[in-house]
Amino acid sequence: MNLRFHWMLPKSGEVVLQGVQTPREAARFRVESTRVDSPAARPEMEGWIHFAQQAEKAGIESVLVALNRYEPDPFMVSCALGRATKQLKFIVAYRSGLMQPTIFVQQVNTLSGLIDGRVDLNIVAGSSTAEQHGYGDFLAHDERYARAEEFLAVCNAFWRSDREVDFEGRYYRVEKGKLNTPFIAPDRAAPEIYISGHSEPSEQLARSQGTCWLRVADTPEKLASTVSRMRTQGIRVCLRLGLICRPTRAEAISVAKSILPEDKHETTTSLKDDSQMYREGAAVAEDAHWLSRNLWAGLVPHYGPVWTVLLGSPEEVAEAFLAYKKIGVSEFIISGWPEIDEVNRFGREVLPLVRDAEAKRW
Amino acid sequence: MRMTKNLRFHWMLPKGGEVGMKTAQETNRVLTTKSTSPAAIPDMEGWVKFARQAEESGIESVLLSFSRYEPDTIVIACAIGQFATKLKFIVAYRSGLIGPTSFVQQLNTLSGLLGGRVALNVVAGSSTAEQRGYGDFLEHDDRYERAGEFLSICNSFWQNKNEVNFEGKHYHIEQGKIHTPFTAPDRSAPEIYISGHSAQAQQLARERGSCWLRLIDTPEKLAPAVKSFREQGVEVALRLALICRPTYEEAVAAGKAMLPDEDIRKQERTILGTSDSQTLHHALAVADEVGWMSRNLWAGTVPYYGSSAITLLGSPQELAGCFLEYKKIGVTQFIISGWPKLDEMIIFGRDVLPLVREAEAREQTRN
Repeated sequence: MNLRFHWMLPKSGEVVLQGVQTPREAARFRVESTRVDSPAARPEMEGWIHFAQQAEKAGIESVLVALNRYEPDPFMVSCALGRATKQLKFIVAYRSGLMQPTIFVQQVNTLSGLIDGRVDLNIVAGSSTAEQHGYGDFLAHDERYARAEEFLAVCNAFWRSDREVDFEGRYYRVEKGKLNTPFIAPDRAAPEIYISGHSEPSEQLARSQGTCWLRVADTPEKLASTVSRMRTQGIRVCLRLGLICRPTRAEAISVAKSILPEDKHETTTSLKDDSQMYREGAAVAEDAHWLSRNLWAGLVPHYGPVWTVLLGSPEEVAEAFLAYKKIGVSEFIISGWPEIDEVNRFGREVLPLVRDAEAKRW
Repeated sequence: MRMTKNLRFHWMLPKGGEVGMKTAQETNRVLTTKSTSPAAIPDMEGWVKFARQAEESGIESVLLSFSRYEPDTIVIACAIGQFATKLKFIVAYRSGLIGPTSFVQQLNTLSGLLGGRVALNVVAGSSTAEQRGYGDFLEHDDRYERAGEFLSICNSFWQNKNEVNFEGKHYHIEQGKIHTPFTAPDRSAPEIYISGHSAQAQQLARERGSCWLRLIDTPEKLAPAVKSFREQGVEVALRLALICRPTYEEAVAAGKAMLPDEDIRKQERTILGTSDSQTLHHALAVADEVGWMSRNLWAGTVPYYGSSAITLLGSPQELAGCFLEYKKIGVTQFIISGWPKLDEMIIFGRDVLPLVREAEAREQTRN
């Protein structure tokens, strides 16, 4: 199977339709998106549609649509954008604990029927405790995983059989649950379920209820044994990373450095205090910002683990993707600065090299 | 000079597949609750056609009904809304299924995508069995208490620029914050229709709603309640079915022709019997005991099509007169359905609405 490439949907207002945006400006927009007056709070279709068209052209399979209190709801955004596109799929991020599983399945199934089944899920057990409290969720980190386990067990029961769903757990109870609207897709009866996180419970959740484990990129050496374990159990592995591809590695590095904040105290990591993924990300970065010749974590202490960056020339970047393929990684969710420039460059210069190599070597 | 606002007319969005159906019998509830029913599948072609016709016919909004037999209302509104420019969407939802913070986030996002063309019909719950399938095990009265808390939190998000804090029996929110605002040219929160006949429903409408939505009855019966709602600044909307034909006799004949066979009747009564909705029990009693509530108001279809099938029927002139009678007692809005779904709305827009508007214009000049 060829590697699958997904991209992060830019935040609302992030895509600049006229003029140029520097990587630094794009990074600033993203960092400042948590401000109450940020345009990221208001859905704006024009920029999204433009991005979606470019992403389709670039050979991107899906976009990941994030959930947080600073941005519009990912179901609504995916529905509106999905109606305006033909091929692109939508990985809708959602947290368990915000909705009852039956109604969640009803929304996912309805969405599938409206956009030809182009919907998948990224289930997050929770991010920051403060944000969860604002959503009315007061469980601690590990309990959130136990609840997510039950949540997905109920969802999967709806998707995997035509019978009524009965469930009695610690967090959810459903009696004769029945939804007439099915998940509608040309090739499957349920969405793919990406489970993200670095903690042991997240791995376990991915294995028991997911189809794919989603984590931040690390070196192939560090990831190899976990990836192989996941694959043995039939779970795919997807890596989340930032990408800076330039004609030479030196140019890519200088772009990456340009994103570093002037004020070193400015961080988003403090917002997500009880996520093991975020704590690990911060620790790794302090030890060594260069995880390998092409994998740089220099932005991580300032902006969080998903800002781990793969950088280099098109050839170097293509080789890096293939090295991950060798250890069993099957897909990637990529970000760039700005998203739209990087997705175009990726489609033009990197993806053809990857596909050539896949045709020759596999 | 006293200005009175024009009556507002909304229509029920047909279920999936219904726009193409020609007879009322095809749309009865026994059929639409079957898992093989087209009602379960999103029907964009039919809906877009209906939405465009509704705009042409002078309809302000469509109401999207919520049940386990149909697609999700919020998601559907998002998709159809892209194909209309004026039409608003009254999204029916039950409290207890989604946390209030997430619910506000979805509605606010929808408002931003549709230029604010979204309103809310909150239902505390319909049948106990259906609620249990959604993971909700509260009884009728507790559901209303929870709906009160739910809407109180939603309203705080809509009224407050700051953080929302709430500690109640059913919900607990600490420093709740949603950055995506409700966006509309003229409002900072959706209109909230509260439906139900029970005392709890009425109280909820007074405390948390902008409009009480109930089944149609005769103006005489409704007058005192309507008056008291209006005095408290809450509007009243009536839910009804409509049969308009050139003459009264033709309308009556069209109504009788909709009655289905005995088989469907039995099954429908079984479905209705499982509900713990007071609204429904009232409607059934009316249907069984009287049938004709007045010369133009007929409950004969209720046993087959559900409580919202109480039908106002007659000639265009008679019907326009009826709507104006309701206006006189303080009713401001109507949510209508008809059979076939598309045709009745076309007739209404062509034959009834102009008469209502003319009369309203005359009334304005007189004042």
